[in-house]
Amino acid sequence: MKRLLRLPSLLRLTLVFLIALVFQNCTEQKIKETTDETLNVTAYLRENKDYSMFLEILDITNYASFMNTYGTYTLFLPTNEAVKQYLTDVGASSLSEVPLKDLQNIAKLHILDQKVNTTAFTDGKIATPSLYGQFLITGAVNKNGVSSVTVNKSASIVTSNVEVGNGVIHVIDKVLRVADKTVAQTIEANPKLSLFTEVLKATGWYDKLNKPLSNSSDILSYLTVLAQTNDVFENTTWKNPSGVTIKLNTLANLKLRYSHLNNPLDPKDSLNLFVSYRVLPRLQYLADIAVSPALETKAPLEVITSRLEGDVILLNQEVFNGVLEKGAAIVKDLSDVTCSNGVLHYVDYNFSMKKRNPAPVYFDLCDQPEFRKLTSIFRTAIGGFKTLAKSEFSDITWDGTGSISYNKAATGTAITTGIAACWHTDVVEINNMRDGLIQNIAFKTPVIIKGKYKIWVSWRQQGTKLGFLKVFFDGVELPRQINLMESGNTTLDERVLESQGYKRYISPFTNRVNCRLVGTVDVTTTARHTITFQSQSSFSAATWLDIAEFRPIEMDQLWPKFAAGKDNLVTQ
Amino acid sequence: MQTKIKTILAIFILFVSASSCDNYLDLRPQDGIVRDEFWKTKEDIQGAVIGIYSSMLNSPPGVSDLTMSQYLFMYGELRADMIAAGANVTEDERDIMNSNIIASNELTSWAAFYRTINYCNTVIDLAPAVKNEDPTLTQVQLNNFLSEALAIRAYLYFTLARTFKDVPLKLTPTLTDKENFQIPVSPQSAIFDQVIKDLKLADEYAVTDYGNDASNKGRITTYAINAMLADVYLWTGKYQEALDATTKVTGSGKFSLIPASNNTWYNTVYAKGNSTESIFELQFTTSNLGPFYSIFYQRPQFLASANALEDVFGIDFTNALNKDIRGENTSITPGSNQIYKFIGLNNDERKVLQDSDTHWFVYRYADVLLMRAEALNELEQGDGAIAIIKDIRLKRRAIQSTSEDPSPSSKNDVIDYILAERAREFAFEGKRWFDILRVARRNNYERLDILTTAAIASAPADKQQSIIAKLKDPNSHYLPINTYELYTNKALVQNPFYK
Repeated sequence: MKRLLRLPSLLRLTLVFLIALVFQNCTEQKIKETTDETLNVTAYLRENKDYSMFLEILDITNYASFMNTYGTYTLFLPTNEAVKQYLTDVGASSLSEVPLKDLQNIAKLHILDQKVNTTAFTDGKIATPSLYGQFLITGAVNKNGVSSVTVNKSASIVTSNVEVGNGVIHVIDKVLRVADKTVAQTIEANPKLSLFTEVLKATGWYDKLNKPLSNSSDILSYLTVLAQTNDVFENTTWKNPSGVTIKLNTLANLKLRYSHLNNPLDPKDSLNLFVSYRVLPRLQYLADIAVSPALETKAPLEVITSRLEGDVILLNQEVFNGVLEKGAAIVKDLSDVTCSNGVLHYVDYNFSMKKRNPAPVYFDLCDQPEFRKLTSIFRTAIGGFKTLAKSEFSDITWDGTGSISYNKAATGTAITTGIAACWHTDVVEINNMRDGLIQNIAFKTPVIIKGKYKIWVSWRQQGTKLGFLKVFFDGVELPRQINLMESGNTTLDERVLESQGYKRYISPFTNRVNCRLVGTVDVTTTARHTITFQSQSSFSAATWLDIAEFRPIEMDQLWPKFAAGKDNLVTQ
Repeated sequence: MQTKIKTILAIFILFVSASSCDNYLDLRPQDGIVRDEFWKTKEDIQGAVIGIYSSMLNSPPGVSDLTMSQYLFMYGELRADMIAAGANVTEDERDIMNSNIIASNELTSWAAFYRTINYCNTVIDLAPAVKNEDPTLTQVQLNNFLSEALAIRAYLYFTLARTFKDVPLKLTPTLTDKENFQIPVSPQSAIFDQVIKDLKLADEYAVTDYGNDASNKGRITTYAINAMLADVYLWTGKYQEALDATTKVTGSGKFSLIPASNNTWYNTVYAKGNSTESIFELQFTTSNLGPFYSIFYQRPQFLASANALEDVFGIDFTNALNKDIRGENTSITPGSNQIYKFIGLNNDERKVLQDSDTHWFVYRYADVLLMRAEALNELEQGDGAIAIIKDIRLKRRAIQSTSEDPSPSSKNDVIDYILAERAREFAFEGKRWFDILRVARRNNYERLDILTTAAIASAPADKQQSIIAKLKDPNSHYLPINTYELYTNKALVQNPFYK
């Protein structure tokens, strides 16, 4: 110690300083180890007392921990007031009194397993079904001058797009209820549809519409019904065979008018067809109807055309032989009624089957219901890439073990880059078309009205590793093959090029894409048909197909063209 | 030995302390001037005022938001019916076009506006004290400077209130970090009142002539102020005052419409700018280019809507040479539908990139004339309104198919005609949405149909119903307050539509 004290003052000072330094360094440093403190759904609910009751539902049903895992979810979150209102509606005083099964269904109905922001909402269903299986529909309503976005028509969104770690939350002011009535029961419950109900029962359609679905996420087994109220029947008149004008406002009169076989249960009887013509396969909400030119019906080979005029959806409004035939408008505010096995719409006019003229069908090959479910990439501006397995497709089939993908470039990419020139900037990508993987691939087309059509197929060209494709329509080989390595011609006169069986199908054009007339077909039935592509060699690169066009032979084959990398058509 | 160490130590300490006293401890900025050294002479005020104008041309270095003219273009056009998405449109831009707007949309950032407003506030606050420092500064000169700052601030608040409805009103400069930044919004009517008050004061102080064209059209004159006043009065329903304000411009004899001629008219009015048709323009130069060449031509974000040329300007199918000079190759390039107004040298030739200095037209004489027509119509003088439209149509060679024959007593028909003429005259000049909104909201939204019709024309089929339902709520006509602003300023309350 003495020696220590004897040290020069400078050294002593240094020693003290060093000791201080050592002690200071020994305090534990707090290092933040997490990179993200955003809460997940359940944690977010625990933080916010306003949502304690829905949290209780999650706890009771044991979904709470599941909603705290990582993933991409959308949660429609009812406020406590909404849950209390629900309890009053079902006559329970607390959540524990509600049957567990009901709570599970309710909880599942509020959750989607894809992240969907309000900007992706349309006038119809959200493309991803809820975990319960039923689809939710969105829209907007104006109440007392205040507009808000609605879910399933009844619930308004109070706070939208709350970002959490594993998805997004939209707060709603009503609990969404599972649609437990079938289409038939819903129709029967409405006294204004009493005559329509009688007709359904007389034709045996009531039972078909009353069948619950075995698998609620199977889009194909849903049905859409276009119903007409008693008032519409009241306003429909008919001159009976003895020359007297009668109203079609009773079942007897309807039978007199339509039932030519006197057996409404016979599918060939006109009264039965009257009903089956009003039943559409699949879920067709108004937003779907507004964008599809022709709707398949349950009446064999018959379709309903739809068009949007201003803000009215008109069914079967056509000019035939120069005469405008009045169509039936869909009653917007009443329609879009979700039922357990389908959806119900109202029309304002007693419409009937029409003779159809051939109309062009532009079949974007990647417009498949399974791809549409990929809401985070399907036709979004950012785009993306996703491969789906063979078993997932309803309308595409192939022979081998290969896979196909949806490929969407970012909107606005220069059209000479990759697939960006294609219509909607997306293609269906078929990897390595060859024996064992995919030799033959068949696509089910949209409804094609019977008539003569020229079929044009367009693709994104690549220089190597590909070859020829044979094309078949309904199993019949078409005269011309496609060379996937052939690039588009940019120099020849368009009409000369057309005569050689090629065209510049997009506008503006780039030689990266090409379009080939593969043949002319006589479509004998109005229905969905099949177009098949067969690889003629062992491809070792991806085949990028854009559109299969079916243009009536009397129509201009060049115009309208498709907007390169966009969603619209370009007229001359 | 010890002495040697001590000496070395002493020298070292001396060296360190001497060099550390150098001016890098001085906190004065090297790339600017501090306030104590500024605001000394009238040249300082002039510098600050010119700085306000240049802040509206391009953002200052290090700031990444868009230029003022881009915001003015987008706020005035995106939600209306004359624009379509170009290949390089951003997702935010497309969402606004489709009435699909959420608060996180980046285009709802108002930072560029408040930045310039702060420059104006600084001038208004600090300039008067310069009089004590600089005896050569006369009261008239000081007033002139103040009128410029007041008018620009008023115009920016006017634009904000038309775009966001209720916005925070800050009339004092932000000089230190100790300022209160938590400012709640003021209602739209209060903003309009303040704008009118500022403009009236600015008019008292205003300059009538700076002595050269570039300043007369590039800086605030009494005519620019009266054009703004007429605009605000039309928004607030004070039609007699609006009429009086336009009279001050039309009666001055300094403005006239230039007769139509191939190439010369376009070149004079748009490509060169500062013509006798012009009242106030943002003066881009070849050394300070505007954003338009990029967003309309090189990487087109916006196009004219598919039917704009035919629907708005009309086409004479019997005589291709008979055309409205404002349409083909003035507003729109036919075929490609590019917006041509800001990129052309004349009707045939496009400017090259390095010369693309076309100005942004804030007010032109035709605007004042048509505002006058609108005021006359509201004051039951439909004849006068129709006469003004006829005169403009004659000078612009408008074609027969777009002419209408409204009864002078039918206000609605006349206002529809005025709107159609405004669409032709000011295509893509950032006016259309404000025009239809101003007319639609008049008399407690009597003409809401104008907005819904415009929306249906461009809405995607599967979202149409939602868009119409949304537009029935007046709050949806205004943009939301950006999420970032809500986060930093807790006193703000979001527009209830965007909950």
